[in-house]
Amino acid sequence: MRRLVNKKENQRFLSIRILPNSNKANILTQNIIFIILNLVFLSILVIFLFSKMGNAAVLEEKYAKQIALILDSAEPGMIISLNMRDAIKIANKENQDLDNIISIYDNVIKVQLKEKGGYSYSFFNDIDFSIYLNTSSEPIKEYIIFVEDYN
Amino acid sequence: MILKNKKGDKIISVYWFVILFIVAGAIVYMVISFYGEPYDIREAEAYALTNKAARCLSDAGYLEEEALSVAFKENFVEKCGFNFETEDIYNWRERGQYYIEIDFYDFSTNQGISTIKTGNEALKTDCGLKGEGFPVCLERSFYILDREKNQYQIDILSIVRKTEKNVQ
Repeated sequence: MRRLVNKKENQRFLSIRILPNSNKANILTQNIIFIILNLVFLSILVIFLFSKMGNAAVLEEKYAKQIALILDSAEPGMIISLNMRDAIKIANKENQDLDNIISIYDNVIKVQLKEKGGYSYSFFNDIDFSIYLNTSSEPIKEYIIFVEDYN
Repeated sequence: MILKNKKGDKIISVYWFVILFIVAGAIVYMVISFYGEPYDIREAEAYALTNKAARCLSDAGYLEEEALSVAFKENFVEKCGFNFETEDIYNWRERGQYYIEIDFYDFSTNQGISTIKTGNEALKTDCGLKGEGFPVCLERSFYILDREKNQYQIDILSIVRKTEKNVQ
């Protein structure tokens, strides 16, 4: 009965048959190939996930909106320290000048981590402020926002 | 799937990989749909807008002396430090993306005293409609006294549109 079931399964399933061999070394090889294939497959999946999570476009949007929200709630006299380690890491990889990651025109903030692209978002708080890269800490990971006064 | 027959030979089924591909496909789909979706910060923006307007109307816990004057009403945007200009994309400059309406009521009689309106008033018509493509509307009200101890209720309606950059 068991043999019959196996025979049926063999016919039904499209399968890779590793030649039957009583040799112990062969069984070991089969297992190793199987495990390696699985590991390769899972590694590709994990690499894909991490590449999506640390994607420059996603970070540009995240930081542009985060800075816009911070500036919307900011008041004159505030000094805001912003940790942008992930963004700086990508900008370094893309040979992007760290001083140009964040740019401001009118009341629009733009974050650009690659030579092409960038993400801009507007804020409604009419304040005068300046953003500097904090080079005193090592490794460089933060920007300082000085909120000056209302325009 | 490793099937073992009686003789002990192993069959590595392609179906094992088919299952793996289905699971991986599902994960990839979820990740793409999660990270492909923009961050929706309009509600946070509407809260910030309301808070800023409320802070502007109060002075040390009392109603700002000028708040009910015509001059204040006319220069509300400048006096409270708002700038409703947006980036020049999706025709946003022509159609304002913000709207704020402040209604002052006498707390004891509940009669309207004054109203301040600024921004794109057309956005108000979309408030109350369900769906992601509509602007985010936030209504808040608070009670305040002026220096002569008169009581007021102030209702603030804040609307932020910016749909294209916050909803897919």
